[in-house]
Amino acid sequence: MTKWGMVIDLDKCTGCQACSTACQMENNRLPGENYQDVLYYTDRSQPTPKLVWFPRPCMHCEEPSCMHVCPTKATFKTEEGVVLVDWNKCIGCKYCMIACPYGVRFYTDEKPVIEPNVKDVFPGTGDLSWNPPYKGPQQDNAHGVGIQPHGVVSKCTFCYHKISKAPKGTSDLSNEDPALREYVPACVRTCAPTARYFGDLDNPNSEVSRLISDRDGARLLEHTGNKPQVYYLGRSAVVPGFKKS
Amino acid sequence: MSTITNLAPDQASISRISNLRLMVGVTGLVLGLLAGIGLLSGGHATFNTSSLLTWGLPVSTYVFFVLTSTGLTFVASLAMVFGLKDFYPVAKRCVWGAVVTLVIGFISLGLEIGNPIRMLWVIPTNMAVTSPLWWMGLFYLTYAILLFWKFHLINQGDWSSQLSKLVGIASFVAVIFAHATLGSVFGMMAMRPFWYGPMVPVYFLITAFLSGLAFIMLFINLDYGVNQSNMSEGAARAMSRQLPAIFAIVLGLVIVFTIAKTMTGLWTNVPENKIVTQHIASSFLFQFELWIGMVLPFLLMLTAKRHEAKTQVVAGGLVIIALFIGRYEYVVGGQLVPMFKGAWADGLIDYTPSLTEIGIVVLAVSIGILLYAFGDKRLSLSDQPNA
Repeated sequence: MTKWGMVIDLDKCTGCQACSTACQMENNRLPGENYQDVLYYTDRSQPTPKLVWFPRPCMHCEEPSCMHVCPTKATFKTEEGVVLVDWNKCIGCKYCMIACPYGVRFYTDEKPVIEPNVKDVFPGTGDLSWNPPYKGPQQDNAHGVGIQPHGVVSKCTFCYHKISKAPKGTSDLSNEDPALREYVPACVRTCAPTARYFGDLDNPNSEVSRLISDRDGARLLEHTGNKPQVYYLGRSAVVPGFKKS
Repeated sequence: MSTITNLAPDQASISRISNLRLMVGVTGLVLGLLAGIGLLSGGHATFNTSSLLTWGLPVSTYVFFVLTSTGLTFVASLAMVFGLKDFYPVAKRCVWGAVVTLVIGFISLGLEIGNPIRMLWVIPTNMAVTSPLWWMGLFYLTYAILLFWKFHLINQGDWSSQLSKLVGIASFVAVIFAHATLGSVFGMMAMRPFWYGPMVPVYFLITAFLSGLAFIMLFINLDYGVNQSNMSEGAARAMSRQLPAIFAIVLGLVIVFTIAKTMTGLWTNVPENKIVTQHIASSFLFQFELWIGMVLPFLLMLTAKRHEAKTQVVAGGLVIIALFIGRYEYVVGGQLVPMFKGAWADGLIDYTPSLTEIGIVVLAVSIGILLYAFGDKRLSLSDQPNA
């Protein structure tokens, strides 16, 4: 069985935010509510300051605390290891947002980060919380794909609407194979310096497996026991602790 | 007002307080409904919570009131489960108070949740047993049913049948589990060091008991016009002798707990605990909570005036305010450090409840006040079993 995972090479990431922009377009994200962000961390001070660009999608953990705390099983893990939210079951208690150590979840009905509120400009109809002029054709509430209904939590789906259509047994989804490009997650497909890789973590011959093995892939916040399926490569794959400026 | 002047002076003060309570309840209801209109038109976007700080004032209010309900059940159980007969005169009032505070908590949470109606079918049909929240829901539902049942039984005059005793014990056990799972909702969150720890359910247990005791100190005295000579002999004995002693002991324990938690937080190097504790400890709210809300009432309970109704009203009121602040600090404090936002968020999250959030609390509390007033007028809350 395929276990989808991602590898992000921090030595190659330039912080261009193309991945975030592609994700916004693909998933109709609102400002300030990006499924995928390129954060940056500053650490240490003069004379040895450090600044790291840090792409952060949902980690699609092996042991997702968000799933374990969900009182309705709205958050679930597919057989292929993708963590999704079933909007038909979500009651909007937001406990998953509390329990996610990576801060990658968003509640639909939040105060807008910028004015005018885009949702007011394109008001929703029926079940949809807003109705943008462009939206993907795949509205799939059971897998948390598309425009959110009111009162639910949403998150990165690894572009489930794309990867779930990939041919069975595919080891890697990359731009290299034109036949597979349509199935590549938007952030991976758009990454200009090819800092992102997406493939089957259970397949020893996949590129993601080889990269993790050869370059000692690291997972974030291992002490929480969540075991992310997103691995980081590079000397900077350590997140500094919180500092108050 | 003419009726008041025709009554005996003590009855007049009882009526005055009762009318005042009604007025506060109705005013609160109107203000709360105005906020409710804001919620209906703007939805949860009218809250000041965000993806960074998810649970705000309505959740801390929920925690405060359901734990108060727990505490009131504990006080009622002193008579009905543990056989301390002196507490029978206040037992029915405690049970009704527990019902009312539970309702306030549920309203506050219900208006905070995105799809509360959906809960009715998705929770029972999905059996998410790994979730502390699921268990909390189960136990609080069980507790609510047993509590209503117990009140119904004693309201019918059935204080001591086998069934009544059994329902009383069962509701006591249910609320122990309920409050413990509520503690686990926070205490199991290893990713939030400010909350994390196995002692949280114990902390909730002690503070819940204190909350119940403080409500008794304040509201029962108010119900009798802040004059214990208006009470039955048994009720006056319970209020003036045992209650201040139990209140002082539990308050002392809570003070120790609060100081210990603060000292631990200030000493540790874990940023999510140290920085947040520094932030809270240096705030006016915390200083008020500790010194005015806890230490001062504790000192009052050490004086000879602890038996007097006025002292008890002041002490009970201050402790209630302190505990409400404490719940707010606890719930919000666990979220003040931005979760994984890098240098974009390099300070603690700034959160002040919005008018809608405050309105929800006002609405829930005023419904509670009116429910309690209804009970006081119609349900003979001073009843006790015949000797």
